[in-house]
Amino acid sequence: MTQTVMECANLWKIYGKIVAVKDVSLEIKEGDIKLIFGPSGSGKSTLAGCLAMLTTPTKGSVFLREECLTEPGVDLNKARARIGFVFQHIWLFHHLTARGNIELGLRRVMKSPKKEARERAMQALREVKMEKWAGHYPAQMSGGQQQRVGIARALAMDPEIIILDEPTSALDPELTGEVIDALRDLAKKGTTMLVISHEMPFAREVADEMIFLDEGMIVERGPPDLFFTNPSSERARKFMARLIKRTRRE
Amino acid sequence: MLSTKQLILILQGLPQTLAISIFSFLLGLAIGLPFAFIRAYMSKPYQIIVDAYEKVFRGIPELVLIFFIYLGVGLELGFTPFKNPIIAATFALGIRSGANQSQIFRGAIRGIGEDQMAAARALGLSRLKAIFYVMAPQTFIIASPSLGSEYALLIKDSSYAFIIGVLEIMRQADRVRAVTLDMVTPTLVATFLYILLTFPIATYLDMWGSRKKKQLGL
Repeated sequence: MTQTVMECANLWKIYGKIVAVKDVSLEIKEGDIKLIFGPSGSGKSTLAGCLAMLTTPTKGSVFLREECLTEPGVDLNKARARIGFVFQHIWLFHHLTARGNIELGLRRVMKSPKKEARERAMQALREVKMEKWAGHYPAQMSGGQQQRVGIARALAMDPEIIILDEPTSALDPELTGEVIDALRDLAKKGTTMLVISHEMPFAREVADEMIFLDEGMIVERGPPDLFFTNPSSERARKFMARLIKRTRRE
Repeated sequence: MLSTKQLILILQGLPQTLAISIFSFLLGLAIGLPFAFIRAYMSKPYQIIVDAYEKVFRGIPELVLIFFIYLGVGLELGFTPFKNPIIAATFALGIRSGANQSQIFRGAIRGIGEDQMAAARALGLSRLKAIFYVMAPQTFIIASPSLGSEYALLIKDSSYAFIIGVLEIMRQADRVRAVTLDMVTPTLVATFLYILLTFPIATYLDMWGSRKKKQLGL
């Protein structure tokens, strides 16, 4: 039986009067690739942030393996180190080189010795084909290259799951390909992933399950084929039609 | 014209001027940097304390502060370290500089934005580690031109120590004036020395900071 890596139950996030995430429950097993998509403002990013405990959910619980992260007294720093997170707007550390960005977590969180951290950082950079850029600062790289370093930074910590919050949506269209390629490689290696993305060909290729989120709620979920052929909800159908049209245009 | 001996006399004020400026700058740094982060990341009561500190010490004329520390706290209340005018002046300039540097660093922290903090926390760094390894280094780079100006300000303001009898550049120049009755040359020498002390460092920090900011896209 495959083990559950991450789970959330009846998760709510409310900002004042705005309900961003509404009663969401999902379970991610080892090796799973779940893809969340939905219109902007549907609560995708908030959900991702809650799962990684970067924002505290208002109600409900988040589990990483057997540990409940929403209970008081949990060492969230330790938990976050076990969850890889890739941001939409990348957010590399400006003052550190590509390698420095990766070494920071290894040295200061994982307490790896300097030499080991360096080797692991270079290995992670190789995995995203950025080893030649190890000594460059983020400002000297293209958006796509930066995001690959962002992925390597998450990867190097050997996380139990990687959560990617629209990793390509802030990039120019011609730069998304290299990032998607890096994600495809991760998928092949059996990395447990939760990806928020609207890259439909990629979704169809790698996702075990697609989850359509709208107004903070899971409207429909199922294998990619379901969404590409015959989604049952009207909202998902309309949204898919728009996405597919956009993909063709590109 | 001044004799070599008189020139040397003015130059003898250099160590005092430098000591007061450098140590008050460091004291200001030790106060300002933590205060800026307290102001940015801690709860309301702490923020109010920092705000009050900044308002009070930026509001008091430097001379009043020096008099208060040296004459009041040192001589009148008998707090021994402040009976030494150099220490009293350094302390007075340092606590004012702390208020200035707190504001300088706060602006820099705001310039960095929340994303760097979020990225650091996502890796599992504690808030303190994130400040130490991610925020503070960038804060220094962004603030470096302003820190150069602050240092120049302290070099200049160290001349206030003249009033309480510290033998720094200004005091020495005045002594030479009193002997030679030359009202112009000693002051010009002092002026030249102050420019020499302020200009290169402030300019260097300004250029270094601008270059680094450009390189890092900050």
